[in-house]
Amino acid sequence: MADDTAATAAGTMRKAGVGRAVPGSRVLLPLAGIAFACAIWQLTVVVYDLPVIVLPPPWAVATSLSELVRSAAFWRDVGVSLFEFVCGYALGTIAGIAVGALMAESRFFRMTATPVIESLRFIVPFAWIPLTVLWFGTSYTGKILLVAYAVFFVMTVSTARSVMHVDPTLTRVGTMLGMSRIELALRVHLRAAAPAIASAARAAAAVGWIAVVAAEYVGASAGLGVLITNAATSLQTGHVLAGMVVIGLIGAGVSGLIRRLSRSRLDY
Amino acid sequence: MTTQMPGAGSESRATPANPGTTSGGGDLAFEKISHRYVNGSRRTEVLNEVSFNVPAGSVACVVGPSGCGKSTLLALAAGLQPASSGVVRWDGKPVRLGPNPDLGMAFQQPGLFPWMTVRQNVAIGLTTRGRSRAEARRIADDFLLAVGLHDFQDAYPNQLSGGMAQRVGIARALALNPRLLLLDEPFAAVDAFTRLKLQQELKSLLKRYRPTVLFVTHDVSEAILLGDVIVAMSQRPATVQRIIPIEHADRNRASPAYARKLAEALECLGIRSDADGA
Repeated sequence: MADDTAATAAGTMRKAGVGRAVPGSRVLLPLAGIAFACAIWQLTVVVYDLPVIVLPPPWAVATSLSELVRSAAFWRDVGVSLFEFVCGYALGTIAGIAVGALMAESRFFRMTATPVIESLRFIVPFAWIPLTVLWFGTSYTGKILLVAYAVFFVMTVSTARSVMHVDPTLTRVGTMLGMSRIELALRVHLRAAAPAIASAARAAAAVGWIAVVAAEYVGASAGLGVLITNAATSLQTGHVLAGMVVIGLIGAGVSGLIRRLSRSRLDY
Repeated sequence: MTTQMPGAGSESRATPANPGTTSGGGDLAFEKISHRYVNGSRRTEVLNEVSFNVPAGSVACVVGPSGCGKSTLLALAAGLQPASSGVVRWDGKPVRLGPNPDLGMAFQQPGLFPWMTVRQNVAIGLTTRGRSRAEARRIADDFLLAVGLHDFQDAYPNQLSGGMAQRVGIARALALNPRLLLLDEPFAAVDAFTRLKLQQELKSLLKRYRPTVLFVTHDVSEAILLGDVIVAMSQRPATVQRIIPIEHADRNRASPAYARKLAEALECLGIRSDADGA
Protein backbone atom coordinates (compact mmCIF):
# COMPACT_ATOMS: atom_id res chain seq x y z
CA MET A 1 0.00 0.00 0.00
CA ALA A 2 1.34 3.38 -1.00
CA ASP A 3 0.58 5.08 2.27
CA ASP A 4 2.40 2.49 4.39
CA THR A 5 5.82 3.97 3.71
CA ALA A 6 4.67 7.35 4.92
CA ALA A 7 3.69 5.72 8.18
CA THR A 8 7.13 4.24 8.89
CA ALA A 9 8.86 7.43 7.79
CA ALA A 10 6.78 9.39 10.28
CA GLY A 11 7.81 6.92 12.97
CA THR A 12 11.52 7.46 12.43
CA MET A 13 11.16 11.23 12.07
CA ARG A 14 9.69 11.44 15.54
CA LYS A 15 12.77 9.90 17.09
CA ALA A 16 15.26 12.20 15.40
CA GLY A 17 16.00 15.41 17.26
CA VAL A 18 17.84 18.44 15.98
CA GLY A 19 21.63 18.15 15.90
CA ARG A 20 23.88 15.12 15.98
CA ALA A 21 24.63 13.12 19.10
CA VAL A 22 28.33 12.86 19.98
CA PRO A 23 29.09 9.51 21.69
CA GLY A 24 29.13 9.88 25.47
CA SER A 25 27.58 13.37 25.29
CA ARG A 26 24.62 12.24 27.37
CA VAL A 27 26.97 11.96 30.36
CA LEU A 28 29.69 14.47 29.46
CA LEU A 29 27.53 17.50 28.73
CA PRO A 30 25.59 17.47 32.01
CA LEU A 31 28.88 16.97 33.90
CA ALA A 32 30.36 19.92 32.01
CA GLY A 33 27.39 22.03 33.10
CA ILE A 34 27.91 21.12 36.76
CA ALA A 35 31.66 21.74 36.48
CA PHE A 36 30.98 25.16 35.00
CA ALA A 37 28.63 26.10 37.87
CA CYS A 38 31.22 24.93 40.41
CA ALA A 39 33.92 26.94 38.65
CA ILE A 40 31.90 30.14 38.99
CA TRP A 41 31.24 29.29 42.64
CA GLN A 42 34.97 28.72 43.28
CA LEU A 43 35.85 31.91 41.40
CA THR A 44 33.43 33.94 43.55
CA VAL A 45 35.06 32.59 46.73
CA VAL A 46 38.56 33.40 45.46
CA VAL A 47 37.85 36.81 43.92
CA TYR A 48 35.97 38.18 46.94
CA ASP A 49 38.23 36.30 49.38
CA LEU A 50 35.22 34.93 51.29
CA PRO A 51 35.77 33.10 54.59
CA VAL A 52 34.47 29.53 54.86
CA ILE A 53 31.77 30.62 57.26
CA VAL A 54 30.22 32.95 54.65
CA LEU A 55 30.60 30.85 51.50
CA PRO A 56 32.65 27.65 51.62
CA PRO A 57 34.17 26.56 48.30
CA PRO A 58 32.73 23.53 46.46
CA TRP A 59 35.29 21.05 47.84
CA ALA A 60 34.47 22.07 51.44
CA VAL A 61 30.79 21.47 50.75
CA ALA A 62 31.65 18.11 49.25
CA THR A 63 33.50 17.25 52.48
CA SER A 64 30.48 18.34 54.54
CA LEU A 65 28.25 16.24 52.32
CA SER A 66 30.40 13.15 52.84
CA GLU A 67 30.26 13.76 56.60
CA LEU A 68 26.47 14.11 56.42
CA VAL A 69 25.78 10.95 54.47
CA ARG A 70 27.69 8.97 57.08
CA SER A 71 25.43 10.17 59.90
CA ALA A 72 22.18 8.42 60.81
CA ALA A 73 20.51 11.76 61.61
CA PHE A 74 20.92 12.87 58.02
CA TRP A 75 19.12 9.83 56.67
CA ARG A 76 16.34 10.29 59.19
CA ASP A 77 15.92 13.89 58.02
CA VAL A 78 15.85 12.81 54.37
CA GLY A 79 13.32 10.11 55.25
CA VAL A 80 11.04 12.54 57.09
CA SER A 81 11.10 15.07 54.27
CA LEU A 82 10.47 12.42 51.63
CA PHE A 83 7.68 10.88 53.69
CA GLU A 84 5.93 14.22 54.07
CA PHE A 85 6.43 14.95 50.41
CA VAL A 86 5.17 11.60 49.13
CA CYS A 87 2.04 11.65 51.32
CA GLY A 88 1.18 15.24 50.46
CA TYR A 89 1.99 14.78 46.80
CA ALA A 90 -0.21 11.70 46.48
CA LEU A 91 -3.07 13.40 48.29
CA GLY A 92 -2.81 16.62 46.29
CA THR A 93 -2.42 14.86 42.94
CA ILE A 94 -5.38 12.54 43.40
CA ALA A 95 -7.64 15.27 44.74
CA GLY A 96 -6.46 17.72 42.09
CA ILE A 97 -7.10 15.35 39.19
CA ALA A 98 -10.53 14.43 40.58
CA VAL A 99 -11.64 18.03 41.12
CA GLY A 100 -10.12 19.19 37.82
CA ALA A 101 -11.88 16.43 35.88
CA LEU A 102 -15.16 17.19 37.63
CA MET A 103 -14.79 20.88 36.76
CA ALA A 104 -14.23 20.00 33.12
CA GLU A 105 -17.14 17.55 32.93
CA SER A 106 -19.79 19.42 34.86
CA ARG A 107 -20.72 22.99 34.07
CA PHE A 108 -22.60 23.22 37.35
CA PHE A 109 -19.56 22.18 39.37
CA ARG A 110 -17.27 24.40 37.33
CA MET A 111 -19.39 27.48 37.91
CA THR A 112 -19.53 26.74 41.62
CA ALA A 113 -15.90 25.82 42.20
CA THR A 114 -14.11 28.32 39.98
CA PRO A 115 -14.36 31.41 42.21
CA VAL A 116 -13.11 29.48 45.25
CA ILE A 117 -10.26 27.80 43.40
CA GLU A 118 -9.25 30.88 41.48
CA SER A 119 -8.91 32.97 44.62
CA LEU A 120 -7.28 30.28 46.78
CA ARG A 121 -4.65 29.35 44.22
CA PHE A 122 -3.03 32.76 44.42
CA ILE A 123 -2.46 32.41 48.15
CA VAL A 124 0.98 30.81 48.06
CA PRO A 125 1.49 27.78 50.34
CA PHE A 126 4.03 29.72 52.41
CA ALA A 127 1.32 32.15 53.48
CA TRP A 128 -0.34 29.24 55.26
CA ILE A 129 2.75 28.19 57.25
CA PRO A 130 2.00 30.29 60.35
CA LEU A 131 -1.50 28.83 60.44
CA THR A 132 -0.40 25.24 59.93
CA VAL A 133 2.08 25.64 62.79
CA LEU A 134 -0.73 27.02 64.92
CA TRP A 135 -3.11 24.22 63.99
CA PHE A 136 -0.83 21.21 63.70
CA GLY A 137 2.32 22.23 65.57
CA THR A 138 5.47 20.55 64.31
CA SER A 139 3.74 17.27 63.40
CA TYR A 140 3.87 15.69 59.94
CA THR A 141 0.21 16.53 59.29
CA GLY A 142 0.77 20.24 58.77
CA LYS A 143 3.54 19.67 56.25
CA ILE A 144 1.64 16.95 54.41
CA LEU A 145 -1.38 19.20 54.06
CA LEU A 146 0.78 22.06 52.91
CA VAL A 147 2.35 19.96 50.17
CA ALA A 148 -1.08 18.65 49.18
CA TYR A 149 -2.35 22.22 49.00
CA ALA A 150 0.53 23.35 46.80
CA VAL A 151 0.19 20.35 44.50
CA PHE A 152 -3.61 20.42 44.40
CA PHE A 153 -3.95 23.75 42.61
CA VAL A 154 -1.37 22.95 39.97
CA MET A 155 -3.14 19.67 39.28
CA THR A 156 -6.71 21.00 39.39
CA VAL A 157 -6.12 23.86 37.02
CA SER A 158 -4.16 21.89 34.45
CA THR A 159 -6.39 18.82 34.61
CA ALA A 160 -9.48 20.94 34.04
CA ARG A 161 -7.84 22.79 31.18
CA SER A 162 -6.47 19.72 29.43
CA VAL A 163 -9.67 17.69 29.78
CA MET A 164 -11.66 20.57 28.29
CA HIS A 165 -9.27 20.68 25.34
CA VAL A 166 -9.62 17.01 24.45
CA ASP A 167 -10.44 16.64 20.74
CA PRO A 168 -14.28 16.78 20.56
CA THR A 169 -14.23 14.08 17.87
CA LEU A 170 -13.06 11.61 20.53
CA THR A 171 -16.12 12.44 22.62
CA ARG A 172 -18.38 11.88 19.61
CA VAL A 173 -16.64 8.61 18.86
CA GLY A 174 -17.04 7.47 22.46
CA THR A 175 -20.74 8.32 22.44
CA MET A 176 -21.17 6.54 19.12
CA LEU A 177 -19.49 3.47 20.61
CA GLY A 178 -22.07 3.44 23.39
CA MET A 179 -20.18 5.00 26.29
CA SER A 180 -22.05 6.70 29.12
CA ARG A 181 -20.96 10.11 30.42
CA ILE A 182 -18.98 8.51 33.23
CA GLU A 183 -17.28 6.11 30.85
CA LEU A 184 -16.47 9.02 28.55
CA ALA A 185 -14.99 10.97 31.45
CA LEU A 186 -12.86 8.12 32.76
CA ARG A 187 -11.96 6.14 29.66
CA VAL A 188 -11.74 8.86 27.03
CA HIS A 189 -11.29 12.33 28.49
CA LEU A 190 -8.87 11.55 31.33
CA ARG A 191 -6.96 9.13 29.16
CA ALA A 192 -6.67 11.59 26.28
CA ALA A 193 -5.54 14.30 28.69
CA ALA A 194 -3.08 11.99 30.46
CA PRO A 195 0.11 13.28 28.78
CA ALA A 196 -0.76 16.86 29.75
CA ILE A 197 -1.73 15.75 33.25
CA ALA A 198 1.57 13.90 33.60
CA SER A 199 3.59 16.97 32.72
CA ALA A 200 1.55 18.97 35.22
CA ALA A 201 2.37 16.28 37.78
CA ARG A 202 6.05 16.92 37.14
CA ALA A 203 5.65 20.64 37.68
CA ALA A 204 3.60 19.92 40.78
CA ALA A 205 6.36 17.71 42.19
CA ALA A 206 8.75 20.66 42.11
CA VAL A 207 6.20 22.90 43.82
CA GLY A 208 5.46 20.24 46.45
CA TRP A 209 9.09 19.54 47.25
CA ILE A 210 9.80 23.25 47.65
CA ALA A 211 6.81 23.51 49.99
CA VAL A 212 8.06 20.67 52.23
CA VAL A 213 11.45 22.20 52.79
CA ALA A 214 10.06 25.68 53.28
CA ALA A 215 7.58 24.42 55.86
CA GLU A 216 10.35 22.62 57.71
CA TYR A 217 12.38 25.80 57.98
CA VAL A 218 9.66 27.24 60.16
CA GLY A 219 7.90 24.56 62.11
CA ALA A 220 9.31 21.06 62.30
CA SER A 221 11.34 18.77 64.55
CA ALA A 222 12.97 16.77 61.75
CA GLY A 223 13.57 16.98 58.01
CA LEU A 224 15.99 18.58 55.60
CA GLY A 225 14.71 22.06 56.42
CA VAL A 226 15.47 21.46 60.10
CA LEU A 227 18.91 20.09 59.25
CA ILE A 228 19.69 23.28 57.36
CA THR A 229 18.37 25.71 59.97
CA ASN A 230 20.21 23.84 62.74
CA ALA A 231 23.44 23.92 60.74
CA ALA A 232 22.97 27.64 60.12
CA THR A 233 22.46 28.48 63.78
CA SER A 234 25.68 26.64 64.65
CA LEU A 235 27.42 28.45 61.74
CA GLN A 236 28.18 25.23 59.85
CA THR A 237 27.77 26.87 56.46
CA GLY A 238 29.22 23.82 54.70
CA HIS A 239 26.42 21.68 56.10
CA VAL A 240 23.83 24.28 55.10
CA LEU A 241 25.01 24.19 51.51
CA ALA A 242 25.35 20.40 51.57
CA GLY A 243 21.72 20.18 52.69
CA MET A 244 20.72 22.51 49.89
CA VAL A 245 22.58 20.36 47.37
CA VAL A 246 20.70 17.30 48.67
CA ILE A 247 17.37 19.14 48.26
CA GLY A 248 18.26 19.96 44.69
CA LEU A 249 19.38 16.42 43.89
CA ILE A 250 16.28 14.82 45.36
CA GLY A 251 14.02 17.27 43.53
CA ALA A 252 15.73 16.53 40.23
CA GLY A 253 15.53 12.80 40.97
CA VAL A 254 11.79 12.91 41.70
CA SER A 255 11.12 14.94 38.57
CA GLY A 256 13.16 12.55 36.44
CA LEU A 257 11.38 9.56 37.93
CA ILE A 258 7.95 10.96 37.09
CA ARG A 259 9.08 11.78 33.58
CA ARG A 260 10.39 8.26 33.11
CA LEU A 261 7.19 6.70 34.46
CA SER A 262 4.95 8.82 32.26
CA ARG A 263 7.04 8.54 29.11
CA SER A 264 6.81 4.78 28.92
CA ARG A 265 3.00 4.79 28.94
CA LEU A 266 1.99 8.15 27.53
CA ASP A 267 4.14 8.73 24.49
CA TYR A 268 1.58 9.67 21.88
CA MET B 1 -14.46 -10.33 0.92
CA THR B 2 -14.27 -13.96 1.82
CA THR B 3 -14.15 -13.91 5.60
CA GLN B 4 -17.28 -14.97 7.41
CA MET B 5 -18.50 -12.00 9.38
CA PRO B 6 -19.16 -13.00 12.96
CA GLY B 7 -22.61 -12.48 14.25
CA ALA B 8 -24.17 -12.99 10.85
CA GLY B 9 -25.37 -16.49 11.58
CA SER B 10 -27.28 -15.93 14.77
CA GLU B 11 -28.97 -12.68 13.89
CA SER B 12 -29.34 -12.72 10.13
CA ARG B 13 -30.87 -9.62 8.75
CA ALA B 14 -34.03 -9.15 6.78
CA THR B 15 -33.81 -8.01 3.20
CA PRO B 16 -35.36 -4.68 2.21
CA ALA B 17 -38.04 -6.67 0.44
CA ASN B 18 -39.22 -7.52 3.91
CA PRO B 19 -39.55 -4.13 5.60
CA GLY B 20 -41.24 -3.37 8.85
CA THR B 21 -39.48 -6.09 10.79
CA THR B 22 -37.07 -5.15 13.52
CA SER B 23 -34.14 -7.08 12.10
CA GLY B 24 -31.95 -5.37 9.51
CA GLY B 25 -32.02 -1.60 9.34
CA GLY B 26 -34.93 0.52 10.47
CA ASP B 27 -36.55 3.55 8.91
CA LEU B 28 -34.72 6.83 9.30
CA ALA B 29 -36.84 9.92 8.80
CA PHE B 30 -35.95 13.60 8.84
CA GLU B 31 -39.01 15.71 9.49
CA LYS B 32 -38.73 19.44 8.83
CA ILE B 33 -35.23 19.68 10.27
CA SER B 34 -33.87 23.18 10.60
CA HIS B 35 -30.59 23.90 12.25
CA ARG B 36 -28.45 26.93 12.97
CA TYR B 37 -25.18 27.41 14.73
CA VAL B 38 -24.88 30.39 17.02
CA ASN B 39 -21.41 31.78 17.60
CA GLY B 40 -21.58 34.93 19.67
CA SER B 41 -23.78 37.31 17.71
CA ARG B 42 -23.27 35.41 14.46
CA ARG B 43 -25.97 32.95 13.47
CA THR B 44 -25.40 30.54 10.65
CA GLU B 45 -28.44 28.83 9.23
CA VAL B 46 -27.28 25.49 7.88
CA LEU B 47 -30.42 23.41 7.37
CA ASN B 48 -33.82 24.73 6.41
CA GLU B 49 -36.81 22.42 6.76
CA VAL B 50 -35.05 19.34 5.47
CA SER B 51 -37.37 16.36 5.12
CA PHE B 52 -36.68 12.96 3.62
CA ASN B 53 -36.95 9.28 4.48
CA VAL B 54 -34.40 6.55 4.27
CA PRO B 55 -36.42 3.31 4.18
CA ALA B 56 -35.17 0.35 6.18
CA GLY B 57 -32.17 -1.33 4.63
CA SER B 58 -31.59 1.23 1.92
CA VAL B 59 -28.62 3.47 1.24
CA ALA B 60 -29.09 7.21 0.88
CA CYS B 61 -26.12 9.19 -0.38
CA VAL B 62 -26.16 12.85 0.54
CA VAL B 63 -24.34 15.14 -1.86
CA GLY B 64 -24.16 18.91 -1.73
CA PRO B 65 -21.84 21.90 -1.69
CA SER B 66 -19.28 22.28 1.11
CA GLY B 67 -20.65 23.65 4.34
CA CYS B 68 -24.28 22.92 3.48
CA GLY B 69 -24.82 20.93 6.66
CA LYS B 70 -24.30 17.37 5.45
CA SER B 71 -22.23 16.47 8.50
CA THR B 72 -24.79 18.18 10.71
CA LEU B 73 -27.46 15.88 9.31
CA LEU B 74 -25.40 12.88 10.36
CA ALA B 75 -24.73 14.28 13.83
CA LEU B 76 -28.46 14.83 14.31
CA ALA B 77 -29.28 11.29 13.15
CA ALA B 78 -26.59 9.94 15.49
CA GLY B 79 -28.01 11.75 18.51
CA LEU B 80 -24.75 13.65 18.97
CA GLN B 81 -26.45 17.05 18.93
CA PRO B 82 -30.04 18.32 19.02
CA ALA B 83 -31.68 20.00 16.04
CA SER B 84 -32.82 23.60 16.40
CA SER B 85 -36.23 22.44 15.19
CA GLY B 86 -37.79 19.38 13.64
CA VAL B 87 -37.59 15.71 14.50
CA VAL B 88 -35.34 12.88 13.39
CA ARG B 89 -37.04 9.51 13.78
CA TRP B 90 -35.31 6.18 13.95
CA ASP B 91 -37.60 3.18 13.86
CA GLY B 92 -40.47 5.61 14.32
CA LYS B 93 -39.15 7.00 17.60
CA PRO B 94 -37.55 10.44 17.96
CA VAL B 95 -33.76 10.25 18.20
CA ARG B 96 -32.56 11.30 21.63
CA LEU B 97 -29.16 12.64 22.66
CA GLY B 98 -26.73 9.97 23.78
CA PRO B 99 -25.65 6.50 22.77
CA ASN B 100 -27.80 4.55 20.34
CA PRO B 101 -27.12 0.80 20.43
CA ASP B 102 -28.16 0.47 16.77
CA LEU B 103 -25.60 3.00 15.56
CA GLY B 104 -22.28 2.70 13.78
CA MET B 105 -20.62 5.80 12.45
CA ALA B 106 -17.42 6.68 10.63
CA PHE B 107 -16.37 10.29 11.04
CA GLN B 108 -14.64 12.65 8.68
CA GLN B 109 -11.71 12.83 11.05
CA PRO B 110 -11.33 9.22 12.11
CA GLY B 111 -10.97 10.09 15.82
CA LEU B 112 -8.98 7.03 16.82
CA PHE B 113 -7.98 6.76 20.46
CA PRO B 114 -4.22 7.43 20.33
CA TRP B 115 -3.44 5.31 23.39
CA MET B 116 -4.95 2.18 21.88
CA THR B 117 -3.65 -0.11 19.19
CA VAL B 118 -5.54 -0.37 15.94
CA ARG B 119 -7.12 -3.62 17.09
CA GLN B 120 -8.18 -2.15 20.44
CA ASN B 121 -9.68 0.84 18.64
CA VAL B 122 -11.93 -1.46 16.62
CA ALA B 123 -12.69 -3.80 19.52
CA ILE B 124 -13.64 -1.22 22.16
CA GLY B 125 -17.06 -0.51 20.67
CA LEU B 126 -17.83 -4.22 20.83
CA THR B 127 -16.80 -4.59 24.46
CA THR B 128 -18.76 -1.50 25.55
CA ARG B 129 -21.75 -3.13 23.89
CA GLY B 130 -21.32 -6.28 25.91
CA ARG B 131 -19.23 -8.62 23.77
CA SER B 132 -16.49 -10.59 25.47
CA ARG B 133 -12.90 -9.47 24.95
CA ALA B 134 -11.96 -12.55 22.95
CA GLU B 135 -14.99 -12.22 20.71
CA ALA B 136 -14.40 -8.49 20.20
CA ARG B 137 -10.79 -9.17 19.30
CA ARG B 138 -11.74 -11.81 16.73
CA ILE B 139 -14.37 -9.58 15.12
CA ALA B 140 -11.93 -6.66 15.07
CA ASP B 141 -9.32 -8.77 13.29
CA ASP B 142 -11.86 -9.86 10.67
CA PHE B 143 -12.86 -6.31 9.87
CA LEU B 144 -9.26 -5.10 9.82
CA LEU B 145 -8.63 -7.80 7.25
CA ALA B 146 -11.61 -6.50 5.28
CA VAL B 147 -10.12 -2.99 5.09
CA GLY B 148 -6.65 -4.33 4.34
CA LEU B 149 -5.02 -3.47 7.64
CA HIS B 150 -4.41 -6.93 9.09
CA ASP B 151 -0.68 -6.20 9.27
CA PHE B 152 -1.30 -3.14 11.44
CA GLN B 153 -3.39 -4.61 14.25
CA ASP B 154 -0.76 -3.83 16.85
CA ALA B 155 0.25 -0.44 15.44
CA TYR B 156 -0.72 2.77 17.19
CA PRO B 157 -2.66 5.51 15.38
CA ASN B 158 0.36 7.84 15.23
CA GLN B 159 2.09 5.21 13.11
CA LEU B 160 -0.66 5.28 10.46
CA SER B 161 -1.13 7.54 7.46
CA GLY B 162 -4.34 9.56 7.15
CA GLY B 163 -5.91 7.07 4.76
CA MET B 164 -5.06 4.12 6.95
CA ALA B 165 -6.54 5.84 10.01
CA GLN B 166 -9.73 6.44 8.07
CA ARG B 167 -9.93 2.77 7.17
CA VAL B 168 -9.63 1.88 10.85
CA GLY B 169 -12.52 4.27 11.49
CA ILE B 170 -14.59 2.45 8.86
CA ALA B 171 -13.71 -0.96 10.28
CA ARG B 172 -14.68 0.27 13.75
CA ALA B 173 -18.12 1.35 12.51
CA LEU B 174 -18.75 -1.80 10.47
CA ALA B 175 -17.56 -4.15 13.20
CA LEU B 176 -20.48 -3.03 15.35
CA ASN B 177 -22.75 -4.62 12.74
CA PRO B 178 -25.00 -1.59 13.11
CA ARG B 179 -28.62 -1.34 12.00
CA LEU B 180 -27.99 2.34 11.27
CA LEU B 181 -24.73 3.14 9.54
CA LEU B 182 -23.68 6.77 9.16
CA LEU B 183 -20.66 7.50 7.02
CA ASP B 184 -19.21 11.00 6.77
CA GLU B 185 -16.98 11.09 3.70
CA PRO B 186 -15.13 8.06 4.96
CA PHE B 187 -13.03 7.67 1.82
CA ALA B 188 -11.97 11.30 1.53
CA ALA B 189 -8.36 10.72 2.61
CA VAL B 190 -7.98 7.34 0.92
CA ASP B 191 -5.99 7.00 -2.31
CA ALA B 192 -7.93 6.32 -5.50
CA PHE B 193 -6.99 2.66 -5.79
CA THR B 194 -7.83 1.78 -2.18
CA ARG B 195 -10.96 3.83 -2.52
CA LEU B 196 -12.28 1.69 -5.37
CA LYS B 197 -11.44 -1.44 -3.43
CA LEU B 198 -13.15 -0.18 -0.27
CA GLN B 199 -16.23 0.88 -2.19
CA GLN B 200 -16.56 -2.69 -3.46
CA GLU B 201 -16.00 -4.14 0.01
CA LEU B 202 -18.51 -1.78 1.53
CA LYS B 203 -21.04 -2.61 -1.15
CA SER B 204 -20.83 -6.34 -0.47
CA LEU B 205 -20.99 -5.77 3.29
CA LEU B 206 -24.08 -3.59 2.91
CA LYS B 207 -25.67 -6.23 0.71
CA ARG B 208 -25.05 -8.85 3.35
CA TYR B 209 -26.13 -6.96 6.47
CA ARG B 210 -28.70 -4.55 5.03
CA PRO B 211 -28.29 -1.71 7.51
CA THR B 212 -29.98 1.60 6.83
CA VAL B 213 -27.21 3.84 5.53
CA LEU B 214 -26.77 7.57 5.32
CA PHE B 215 -23.61 8.25 3.38
CA VAL B 216 -22.22 11.75 2.94
CA THR B 217 -19.89 12.14 -0.01
CA HIS B 218 -18.48 14.73 -2.36
CA ASP B 219 -18.13 12.16 -5.08
CA VAL B 220 -21.23 11.84 -7.26
CA SER B 221 -19.98 8.69 -9.00
CA GLU B 222 -19.47 7.10 -5.57
CA ALA B 223 -23.04 8.07 -4.70
CA ILE B 224 -24.35 6.36 -7.83
CA LEU B 225 -22.30 3.23 -7.14
CA LEU B 226 -23.38 2.83 -3.51
CA GLY B 227 -26.71 4.61 -3.16
CA ASP B 228 -30.29 3.51 -3.66
CA VAL B 229 -31.14 7.18 -3.70
CA ILE B 230 -29.10 10.35 -3.98
CA VAL B 231 -30.24 13.21 -1.80
CA ALA B 232 -29.00 16.39 -3.47
CA MET B 233 -28.78 19.35 -1.12
CA SER B 234 -28.72 23.03 -2.02
CA GLN B 235 -26.40 25.78 -0.82
CA ARG B 236 -26.64 26.90 2.81
CA PRO B 237 -29.24 27.21 4.34
CA ALA B 238 -29.71 23.82 2.74
CA THR B 239 -32.92 22.27 1.58
CA VAL B 240 -33.38 18.99 -0.22
CA GLN B 241 -33.16 19.97 -3.85
CA ARG B 242 -33.91 16.64 -5.43
CA ILE B 243 -34.08 12.98 -4.54
CA ILE B 244 -32.69 10.90 -7.36
CA PRO B 245 -33.50 7.19 -7.31
CA ILE B 246 -30.73 4.91 -8.55
CA GLU B 247 -31.56 1.67 -10.35
CA HIS B 248 -29.24 -1.26 -10.76
CA ALA B 249 -28.78 -0.44 -14.46
CA ASP B 250 -27.59 3.07 -13.61
CA ARG B 251 -24.46 1.73 -11.95
CA ASN B 252 -22.89 0.45 -15.14
CA ARG B 253 -20.40 3.18 -15.83
CA ALA B 254 -20.40 2.43 -19.53
CA SER B 255 -24.15 2.88 -19.85
CA PRO B 256 -25.97 6.02 -21.00
CA ALA B 257 -28.19 5.64 -17.91
CA TYR B 258 -25.13 6.20 -15.68
CA ALA B 259 -24.19 9.31 -17.62
CA ARG B 260 -27.73 10.64 -17.31
CA LYS B 261 -27.82 10.13 -13.53
CA LEU B 262 -24.41 11.72 -13.17
CA ALA B 263 -25.51 14.72 -15.20
CA GLU B 264 -28.73 15.01 -13.21
CA ALA B 265 -26.92 14.96 -9.88
CA LEU B 266 -24.22 17.37 -11.03
CA GLU B 267 -26.87 19.73 -12.34
CA CYS B 268 -28.44 19.83 -8.89
CA LEU B 269 -25.03 20.87 -7.56
CA GLY B 270 -24.90 23.63 -10.13
CA ILE B 271 -22.40 21.94 -12.41
CA ARG B 272 -23.57 21.87 -16.01
CA SER B 273 -22.06 18.99 -17.89
CA ASP B 274 -22.60 18.14 -21.52
CA ALA B 275 -23.38 14.60 -20.47
CA ASP B 276 -19.82 13.51 -21.09
CA GLY B 277 -19.74 11.74 -17.75
CA ALA B 278 -16.49 11.19 -15.95
